[in-house]
This record gives sequence, C-alpha cells and structure tokens, in this order.
Amino acid sequence: MDPPPGPRLIPVLLLLLLASCPAALAWKKDEFRNCIQTPFCKRARTRTPHSLDAPLSVDAGSLYVTPDGSLTAVLSHPSRLRPLLLRLSALPPHVVRLQIDEDYSANTPPHRRFQVPDVLLSDVEARTLHLSEPKTAGAVSTLALSSDLDVVVKHDPFELTVRRAGSGDPVLSFNSHGLFDFEPLQESKPEGETWEEHFRSHTDTRPRGPQSITFDVSFHGADFVYGLPEHGSTSLALRPTRGPGVEESEPYRLFNLDVFEYLHDSPFGLYGSIPFMIAHGDGASSGFFWLNAAEMQIDVLAPGWDGAASTENGRIDTLWMAEAGVVDAFFFVGSEPKDVIKQYISVTGTPSMPQQFAVAYHQCRWNYRDEEDVAGVDSGFDEHDIPYDVLWLDIEHTDGKRYFTWDHSAFPNPEEMQRKIADKGRKMVTIVDPHIKRDSSFHLHEEATAKGYYVKDAGGKDFDGWCWPGASSYPDMLNPEIREWWVDKFSYQSYKGSTPMLYIWNDMNEPSVFNGPEVTMPRDAIHYGDVEHRELHNAYGYYFHMATADGLLKRGEGKDRPFVLSRAFFSGSQRYGAVWTGDNSADWDHLKSSIPMVLTLGLTGITFSGADVGGFFGNPEPDLLVRWYQVGAFYPFFRGHAHHDTKRREPWLFGERRTALMREAIHMRYSLLPYYYTLFREASVTGVPVMRPLWLEFPDDKETYNNGEAFMVGPSLLAQGIYEDGQKSVSVYLPGKELWYDLRNGSPYKGSVSHKLEVAEDSIPSFQRAGTIVPRKDRFRRSSTQMVDDPYTLVIALNSSSAAEGELYVDDGKSYDFEQGAFIHRRFVFADNKLTSTNIAPDHLGNKKFSTDCVIERVIILGLSSGAKKAIVEPGNQEVGIELGPISLRRSLSSVAPTIRKPNVRVVDDWTLRIA
Amino acid sequence: MRLHALLLLWISAAAAASRPPLDTLGIPPQDEAYFRGGVIRCRDGSGKFTRDKLNDDFCDCTDGTDEPGTSACPEGKFYCQNAGHSPITIFSSRVNDGICDCCDGSDEYGSNATCKNTCWEAGKAAREKMKKKIATYKSGVVIRDQEVEKAKVAFAKDKAELTKLKSEEKILQGLVDKLKEQKSLIEKAEEEERLRKEKEEKRVKEEAEKQAANEKKAPDASQEVDSQKTHGNVQEDESKVADHHDGHASHENQTPENELSVVQHDPEIQDDTSIKAGPVDESPPKDTSAEPTKEQEPTPVNSEDLSREELGRLVASRWTGEKVDEVSKDDKKEHEAEHDMPEPSEEALEDELDVPEPAEDSYSGYRSEVEDDRHKFDDEDFPNESEDEYVDDHDDHVESYKSDDDQKADDHSDLTASGQASWLDKIQQTVHNVLQTFNFFKTPVDLSEASRVRKEYDDASSKLSKIQSRISTLTDKLKHDFGWSTWCHTAMRIFLSYRSHKQGKEKEFYYFYDRCFESKEGKYTYKVCPFKKASQVEGHSSTSLGRWDKFEESYGAMEFSNGDKCWNGPDRSLKVRLRCGLNNELNGVDEPSRCEYVAVLSTPALCIEEKLKELKQKLQVMSSNQAGHDEL
Repeated sequence: MDPPPGPRLIPVLLLLLLASCPAALAWKKDEFRNCIQTPFCKRARTRTPHSLDAPLSVDAGSLYVTPDGSLTAVLSHPSRLRPLLLRLSALPPHVVRLQIDEDYSANTPPHRRFQVPDVLLSDVEARTLHLSEPKTAGAVSTLALSSDLDVVVKHDPFELTVRRAGSGDPVLSFNSHGLFDFEPLQESKPEGETWEEHFRSHTDTRPRGPQSITFDVSFHGADFVYGLPEHGSTSLALRPTRGPGVEESEPYRLFNLDVFEYLHDSPFGLYGSIPFMIAHGDGASSGFFWLNAAEMQIDVLAPGWDGAASTENGRIDTLWMAEAGVVDAFFFVGSEPKDVIKQYISVTGTPSMPQQFAVAYHQCRWNYRDEEDVAGVDSGFDEHDIPYDVLWLDIEHTDGKRYFTWDHSAFPNPEEMQRKIADKGRKMVTIVDPHIKRDSSFHLHEEATAKGYYVKDAGGKDFDGWCWPGASSYPDMLNPEIREWWVDKFSYQSYKGSTPMLYIWNDMNEPSVFNGPEVTMPRDAIHYGDVEHRELHNAYGYYFHMATADGLLKRGEGKDRPFVLSRAFFSGSQRYGAVWTGDNSADWDHLKSSIPMVLTLGLTGITFSGADVGGFFGNPEPDLLVRWYQVGAFYPFFRGHAHHDTKRREPWLFGERRTALMREAIHMRYSLLPYYYTLFREASVTGVPVMRPLWLEFPDDKETYNNGEAFMVGPSLLAQGIYEDGQKSVSVYLPGKELWYDLRNGSPYKGSVSHKLEVAEDSIPSFQRAGTIVPRKDRFRRSSTQMVDDPYTLVIALNSSSAAEGELYVDDGKSYDFEQGAFIHRRFVFADNKLTSTNIAPDHLGNKKFSTDCVIERVIILGLSSGAKKAIVEPGNQEVGIELGPISLRRSLSSVAPTIRKPNVRVVDDWTLRIA
Repeated sequence: MRLHALLLLWISAAAAASRPPLDTLGIPPQDEAYFRGGVIRCRDGSGKFTRDKLNDDFCDCTDGTDEPGTSACPEGKFYCQNAGHSPITIFSSRVNDGICDCCDGSDEYGSNATCKNTCWEAGKAAREKMKKKIATYKSGVVIRDQEVEKAKVAFAKDKAELTKLKSEEKILQGLVDKLKEQKSLIEKAEEEERLRKEKEEKRVKEEAEKQAANEKKAPDASQEVDSQKTHGNVQEDESKVADHHDGHASHENQTPENELSVVQHDPEIQDDTSIKAGPVDESPPKDTSAEPTKEQEPTPVNSEDLSREELGRLVASRWTGEKVDEVSKDDKKEHEAEHDMPEPSEEALEDELDVPEPAEDSYSGYRSEVEDDRHKFDDEDFPNESEDEYVDDHDDHVESYKSDDDQKADDHSDLTASGQASWLDKIQQTVHNVLQTFNFFKTPVDLSEASRVRKEYDDASSKLSKIQSRISTLTDKLKHDFGWSTWCHTAMRIFLSYRSHKQGKEKEFYYFYDRCFESKEGKYTYKVCPFKKASQVEGHSSTSLGRWDKFEESYGAMEFSNGDKCWNGPDRSLKVRLRCGLNNELNGVDEPSRCEYVAVLSTPALCIEEKLKELKQKLQVMSSNQAGHDEL
C-alpha cells in the first residue's frame, strides 16, 4: 500500500538540491530591459557613423558671444520645427561646458525638456569665463579658452573638439563620428504612430513621444576609460562593449534599480548613476560628464568599431544615449588624473566632511530585533574588546514599516536605548525609506495626501506602488517645498524617540517599487513642474538623500554634521553623505568586485563608500568573512551588514582565532583613523578620494592602469585584497621607483616590481610607501569617541633620499567650526635627520580655534640606517631616547624599528625632532 | 544612615584623590612581587624593561607587562581592587577612557570622568544575588538527588521490563508462527475449494454459452473474474485491519489510558506511523510530491499575469524569503503554511531507506492502530501535562508531577507484568485448543473453525506487535544519554577542574523523557519535549523546530536539529540552555538568527553540588573583600 519510492524520493531530493543553491534562482535578467528592448537605445545603437540624412549644423551667422560671456549658436536642421540652441561656456580651470536645447521661442511645445536642477553648484554660472570672440575660418570656428586650451567648432556637420592650444593635440571631441542625434519634441502624435511602449505586463504611455539624444565622444590619448557607476565589476577600467575582437555586451546602463542578488560582473544598471567618465593614458587624463537624469546607455567602443582601417593611437570612442533631457555636457581637460576629478568636483561639489564616528566601524544587520538584542550586541563588542562606533536598525524597528515610528513591543524605550549606547560614545542609525505606507492612521501619509505631496501617476492620482509596507506612495522630492516639509520630519518633536545620537539610513530610494516596471516607478509618473519620472529617474534618490541630510542639518541647528547613508545616488550625492554598494552576496567574487566598485565611486566624486562587509545575501564561510573584514577595514565606509535569513555573524561568533583576526582588522582601521580623517579632509576640499586607484598616485606607471585588485588609501598606503579561498600566494604589483614597507613587519619591497608574496592569515598584503609619514593612534578604545585624547604614533617610511612627509588634520570631529578655522592641519617633513612639524592651516578662514593636548608618544622610522640612540626635541633642547621598538603593538608580531620614545610633543605646536 | 552616607563619601573621595603609586597601579596583589626587581622581564619573554618604565604610559612589552596601570599597551589588563565588592580585571583599553568601569573608579584616575565609588552597594547587591543563587542551588541539589534516585529506580524497572518483554516476545512469536502456518493451510484449502467451484461454474457457464452458440467470451470472463478476485483481496485486507483493531480492543480488555501509555512511550514510532499512515489512510502520494515544489518556487515563473499587488508581494518576497501571499516580511506566518511539508517527506525518505522490510500485514495494521492513539496523545495528554507544569506553581510541583509519572509506570506493569502471565497463558491455551480441534483434511472447510484460526492469529499477532512496539520504545528510550556518564566526569575534571563527582551514571535527565515543557511568547507557544522534538505552535498549526539531537556543552544545553526548513534559510533548530532552578521552566525563547532558536530551561537537574561549592567559595571571596570595608 505504500507508494513506490520513486515519486516520493524525487521531490525530496529536488527540494534538498534547490535548497542548497538559492543563488541559482537569483538575478532575473528577464525583468530588466536590455538595449534591444529599449527602443531609443536600439535605434541609436544600430546607427552607423555619419549615416544621418541631415546632420545638425551650425548656422554660421548665429555664432556670437553673449553678454554673459558664453558663446551661442543655432543648430539647424531642414526638417525641424524648431532649431536647437547651443551654448558653450568655460569654467576655470579647464572645464568646457556644452549645452544644447530646443529653441522654444520659435515654437513652444506643450512641455519643455527637463534640465536637472540643484545638482550643479549654484555658483557655476557665476564662475564662467568671459569668452573672447571666436575666430572663424571657412566652416570652422576656433575659440581660445586659455593660453593652453582652445575649442574648435566645425559647422557642418556640427563637431566640437577641445585641444591643447600649443600642440594642437585634441583631448576630447564631440560628434567626430557624426552620431549626434536629437529627437525633437513633437506637438502631437503623428497619425498612425504609436508612442506606447510595453515591457512585460507594464505599459509606458509615453504621452510626450520620442525625445532621446545620442552622441559620440572621443577621448584622445587614452588607454582606458573609467567611471559610470554603478555596475558590478571585477575590472576597474570599463571594458569595451562592442567592436572588433570584443565580446559584444550590453552598453553600460545608467538606470537606478533595486536589483535582487545582482551580478558581480555586469554592465546592467544598479542603484545609482553618475554619467561621468574619466579617461587616462600615458599622455594625460581627461573627463566627460553629461548632466542628465534620464535613462542612459553608454557604449565603450573598441578600436576599429567604426570600420576605420587604422585608428589614432590611444583614442577611445564612446557612444552616449539618453532617453530624454537636454545636452548639458562638461569636458574636463586634466591633465593629471587628480585634476580631472577636481574639475568634476568644481561643478558638482565637494564631498561633505563626515563626523569622526562615521569614519569608524559600523555594525548592522537586518535586523537587530529588540532593545535586548541591541544591548547584547553592544556588550558583545565590549566583551571581546572590539571597538565599534555605530549600531544600525533596519526596517523591522518600525511600527509596520511606517518610518519615523517604533515597533513599541520590540523597542519600548528607544531614547533610553540610544542613551545607553551613547554612554559609550557610540551612535545609532535608523532607516528611513521613501515609500510611505498608505494607511489612513499614519499621520505622515495623511499629511502628504492632504498637501498633494506624492508623485502622481500618469492619470494624475497619487502614485500607488508596492514596497515593504504594502501599498505605498512616494513624496515628490523634486519639489523644494516638499523637501522642506521632509526636512522638518527629522526634528526631535516630529521624530518621536529620536535623539541627537541618532543618524539616518536611506534605502530603496532608486526608488524601489516592487510592482513597478523593472522594480521601479513607471516612467510616465508625474513630478513637480509636470516633469515625467523618466526625465529625472536617476536623480530621485539624490533628492531624497539631500532632503534627509538637510533634515539632520536642521535638527542639529546647523552645528552637527549629518550622517546619511544612501543606496541610490547621482552626481552630487557626495555633498549629502555616504553610499554603499547595495545588496551584494557573501561570495568571493563579490568581495573582489567591491574594490573596483568602491574605487569607481571614488573617482566619480563619491569618496565615502563601501560594500557590506561579509556580503548581504547568504552566509559567508568564516574565512571569507575574515578576509572581508581585512579588506573592508580599508573601505572609506566600513560597515558589516547581513540579510535576515543569514546566520548571526558578529565578529566573535567564529572561534577565538577568527575573532582575533577580525579584531585585528578593526583595530587596524581604528589605529589609522587619524590618517583616514586627514584624507577625508583632503577629499572634502579637493574631491580626491580617500581610496584611490594606483594610477591616481602613479599616473605614469602603465602597469597600474587596469589594476582593480590593489588600491591606495591616500598617497601613502597600498593594500591588496585576498579574493580566493585558501589562497597560498599572491602577486602584488608595487608601483613607482621607491621602496614599500610591509605594514605588519616593516620589511622593505622594491617598487615597479610584481612581488609574489606568501599569503598571511592575519592580514591582507598592505604597505607604506617610502617617502611618507602616516599618523596613527595605537591605543584601542570602545569607540573612536574615547580616542580623542589619546597620543599619536607617527610612522615614517624613508625614501631613497632619507626623506618623507605627511599630514595630519584634526578638528572637533562633529561640528562645522572647522569652516571658521577651528582645526589643526600639520605637515610633517623628515629630511636631513630632522622631523619638523609645521602648520599648514590657512589663517584667513575665521576666528574659531581648535586645540588639543594630544601629544606624539612614538615616532617609528622605517629605513633609518644610523644607529642613533637619541633625539633632541626643539624647542626646549630636551633629549629623548631612540630604541628599537615594535612596529605594531600586537603581541603576535615582534618586528622592530628605530623608535623615538616619548618625545611627547603636542600636535598643535611647531617643533623639530633632531636625530643626534 | 548618615554614617553610611559619610562613609561612602569618604570612600569615593579617597578613590578620586589618591591614585595608587605607579609601581602597584593596575597590578593584582598576588603579582606585585613580579615587579619588584630593577629589571623586569616581559612575561612573554619578548624583552625586558627597567623599573622606571613600569607604568610610564609607554608600551615597551607588546604583551602589556610594563603597563598594567595605563592604556598604553593594547593587550594589557588592569586590575581594580573594588574593595567592598569583587576585584576585576579589565582591558587596558578601558583605562582613562572617560567611562567608569571599576566600581571603585580606579580605572579613571587620569581622565575627566568623575566616578563614584559604587562598590559597597554593588557588592551588597551582588552578594545578595549570590546568596539567593546559593539558596536555589541548595534546594535544587536536594531535588536533583531525589530525581536521580527515582531515575535509577525507573531505569532499572524499564530495563527489567524490557528483558521480560523480550522473552515474552519469543514465546508469542512461536505461537504466531504456528497460527500463521495453520492459517495458510486453511487458505490453501479454501483456495482449492474456490478453484474447484470456479471451474464448476465455468463449466456450467460454458455450457450455457454453447447453448447460446454465438461468440466466445471466455477470455473476457476469466479476466473479469481475475479483477474481481483482486478486488476481493483488497477488501479482505481492509476488513482484516478493522478486525484486527477491534480484536485488539476487545481482547485486551484494557482501558484506553493503558493503551495510551503504551504508545505514548514511543515517539519515534508515533512519528513514523503518522507519516506512513498518511498515505495509507487518505493522502495520495502526489500531494507529497506536489507541495515541496510549490514551496521551493514561491515565485511563479510567469509573473506577467499577476495583479499589480501580487507582483509587488512577489518581488518583495525575494528579499524576505517569504511566501508571496504574506503582507510584510516581519510576519512569521509562513511557518504555518510551510510546516507540514518537509518533515513528512524527509521522514518518508528515511523510512524508505531505513526500515528493513517488515512483515507487511502486521506492520501496516499496527500503524493505523497507533495513529489513533497518537491522536489521543496529542489532544488530551499534552494539555494535562502542561497544566501540571505551568498552571500549578506549587513548591511540591515537581513531586506531584513525579508521582503522576510513577503511576504511569505502574500502569505499564499492570499491562505487561502482573497481568501478563494470565493473558499469555490464555493465548497459549487457546491456540493449543484451536490447533487441536481444527481438521485440515475436511472439505469443504469448516467456516467457523477457519474464522477462529484467523481470529486467534490476528489477536496473537496484534499482541505481538504491541509487545514489539513496547520493546522498541523501551530500547529507544534506554539507548539515550540521560546524564553524567563516566567520560563526562573525566572531561569535566579536565575542563572545569572539578575535583570529584558522584561516580557512575546519574541519569538526572531520565525523567525528562516523558515530559514536555512549554513557553508562551507572543502569539506562539513553544513546546520542548526532550529526547523527542521541539515545536512552535500557533493556533492549530505547528512548526517543527527540530528533532532531538544531543546534549551539548557538558549537559549544559539540549540541541534539537533538522526542524522544518526555512525558505531561503536553514532547517530550523533549537538550542535549549539549561540552568539550575527549582522548577522545570522554559522561558526566554528567542530567534537570534533566522530560524535558529534558543531558549532557557531552568531545572533542578542542573543544580550540581560541585557548582554549589564553587558558588559558596565565590561568596566567601566576595565577603572577605567586603570585610576590609567593614573594618573601616
């Protein structure tokens, strides 16, 4: 009577099988549009160079310099209703801006094209140069921008080239392949044409018809191009997407999407978009930025893609396609790679200066369930002597996914809970997402509904989508009034249970809409100013991030630097806080791709970024988790996070040895906090990122150009992850001519050599570059807060001329007083056997002062050859000893180096230590 | 009172004002000698330092030897005396970090923090707590000893019963074999008779057909007979099952309670039967095969046809690992829908692999019988137990519970020991009679004789299977590890430096075998049955949190594993930590990682005498530390 074993066995086995490989069911390619399914992309991508029937051309007579100093011209086209207006302007130094929109004066369509507001710095216009009149010869006009730069405009067809004036070498050119197409807005739908688009079960009504823009941009003298986050990638350089000898792929897609279990290596779009590309080669660097928030697809074309028999050496062509918007493009001329970044930052803004705590370690999990859990995790760190600064609460802390509320059964006393955490100098973060629960008992929803603050659907009703709380609507963050309203939601009166120690996390702000096309908002949804969602999609998360950061700023009466982590981002997001690389997976590949991803974010302005340590989805093998801590400890944003289906993975749960290894990794980060904070300061002034590709520091070393496994932290440290299980040896390329010193034991390694190194369990390969000085604090506390008064250690790595230099920036770690001069900025220079500390803080910033009694307790000098026994401290002529001391205060390492013992000079003072 | 306050003031002032001299700062008294010399070695042998470098706020030994009183060495430890309370050793990272860690405030001698000396109050509270704990242990040890004694008796009893049952099984098996032989003889005779009849009928029929003289239907007809025959057999089997059951009940003449207790002792077989009985009783096998697929693929491949809400839920479910029809991810209702499936199929799988070809008839018959009993067990017995366990909160609660258990054991002996001689004799006698009177050579077969043989066979084999089930129950029970075995003592001695312990196997967890413990947390009730299983119950649905796995941490925790599978997660599991308490109480059920549960069970079984001694010593140390204070 028993059924035969077969049919019963099979499902059981199947079940076991399926359970063991959930990843196999992961990323759903079909749910996202590829280029062929995206009509504008398909049209643009299949066009061949110079194939347009009637290319746009400059109306020669229309070219002139306007009173505001910019050049304008009319671009005409015989079959167009309206001509296009071109505006060319320049910002010092070395930024050229090209704007092209329709000339609405001739014929006004029902809607104008969308220009993304509030992304460019407000003073960009004011900073534009007054251009001199162009010189026109035949159908070519030349415009001198500066002594070393000019712009050549060819009239028919329109083509623009930015050149180095002296040599005449082109740097960047626009439409040199005649692919520039600008679909004009139409009055109404022509007879028989259909504008609707369908994707899966979704219909895009597209009531405004086609309006895409396409053009080609060439980077001259480039070996590689970089940028365009965000994509999963194990390659730092952008791989060509088509052309001879290239495996054809999708173009790089910029379309902010919440992708479930994303691929670690794919050109498909992820959570954020920055339409900025940097090119670098032996010659020089340059960059191109297209301010446009609509869906964008970008091809990187391999040489010969255009059928040209021989191509100019070191030129990379790219094809840019956007669904809507205008041309508002910036050409950055370099010539050093850091210059390109600075030029991009000069229009989109510098990264905000984070508080000290935010640079330390963050502990997160979906979800720490209740106050007891929070207390337990907090004390777990103390019991294991592992520092951490911030404990995070994911969506479950809310009352039914109503943000700004608390689940009172799990968190009955949120203020008390935060106070207990804050007693140890720590902070908390709660999540606030943009989807607002459609629930008539939720005041936020009622208010937003009453005020008409939600994004509207194509029919004009409040858009109703599905997210964590179920039916949800989304505040229209494009509208400054609504952002103002949102800002006030963070006041202590409004956000009950919040305290000054509570900071914010913005998730799902792509926006994620579970039942929307491609898990986001329909493109025909309507925003403030009658703007279609398709036109601003990629910037929605940016506005949300902005409004949240402004909320914290206002809450703190402008005195407390906000901390807001966002998943979605756009150009300019660096001004509002940190981002992370979203829902990665606990596997070695995702660990590996985290480095190119974080480096790319840094190159495109967003220096404060990191990947979830351990991987969000899945359970990392303990060895992977340890490696991830060792790599993650170098990320600018350092946070452990995990999905709620995963096993607990607080650092002490994997045996004593592994606990010690993870503690060491976190300690390493804490000891480097003074260095990191100094780098964040640099980034906040120049935009040069904290974590850097090698070529940013070694632009002439070709070996570094596509190295996505190793990275620099600032100018002084180099590290390379271990990305394979059980790896025994690793090849690490150390660039430049100078030596490198192993951070663990001080062993010197030659530069410009690829070293095959044994893989150590206790750290990833990491080195200090000869010629640098790194400030550390070697005492470990519960959190960075208690380290404030601790003394410093300076680690000097001497170069071949027995010299080195470094910097230290210190301020109060939380307020904006530094803007009025309340900070210490020192330069340490070691030369001629003397270490000198000098002030490099400008004195014109304001009259606020910052001081500290912190001293330097130890100076370690790597590469000091003399057998010096003492040093003289000036002023004071006091003698201190030099002994062989440990390089690291970890018991396991016994390596020693000459160490100046207890000079105890204050960091605020000028002084000299002379080796006698 | 005022004096007390003054005293406190004095102490805190003293703590704040007087920093201990550098050469004793942070050093435990017993270590002070180590630091006396002029040159002191780093303890790890890595180097040495001169006395002036002791506590000079610069780390010379990476192991922290030279900086016991400062934060200079990350690996250092700081000793606080904590007069009035217990001395503690803290990480050097806590020294002068602005947070008061030692109750005497001695760790913050150089920071801005002003630490009150709270050692007196804290010490008092800690001593009180310790005293209470000791009191609990004292009573607990007594209860535990009683339990251990009872367990020994019960264990011996069970063992004796098992021996007896085994010998009975042998006898009964002989009888059953004989009866079976007779039965098959009868059946053979009947078969012959039937064939003959059939032949006769066929002949008559053929003749009739010949008379009709048309088409030949003979082969069809025979086929028809064949199928009828098969059908008949099935019916016969079924009626046999029913018979069997009736027979068992009437023949035994036992009260339902007695039946119940027999079955109740065998959870393994209960589980097995419930699963095996499933397909036998009602559910067609395809149900089992259909459901896991559904569970594994909560996201239908084709999401095109979904409503917008369905689509939203579906996409959300990927992140949450939830079933699509759930509203939000914090809702744990999916357990409800999920819970039944994986276990049956797993068990079914095990059955397929493990069960070594039982005698089919008796096996399946026995199963359905137990299935019924199991039902009663779940519905009636458990609530009674839980009432005892959780509603009655008397001090003698454990006793009363225990006596209940004794009674149960007596019931068994009624059934199997004292009463059994008569029934075994009776069966033997009856069988003898039957075998004597039956005439195998008489045809046609005497129907009443035949049915008597059949009935006797059914009765005897039912009895046999019952005894076998009881044997396997007892065997299963006795093979479990019920507590401190000898190797454990050895391990204990090594790891916890326990000097001695009562020798032999105490089996202090023996009385856990027939118990379940419950705890209500929110909408769920957690049910833990040691040596058996654990589950989470919500309303009428129950989710398995695991089957008994083993004791862990030297009998400090019970592990249940391989519970119902979590979608996109692990199989559910439960770890029950045990701690000393006067009553058996389950509480603090928690789910720190998804589908990995923990709970705490306080029980006298954990009130170990050695631990009590240790606590007493601790208290002594605490009090002696306080003595210094009292002298002030």
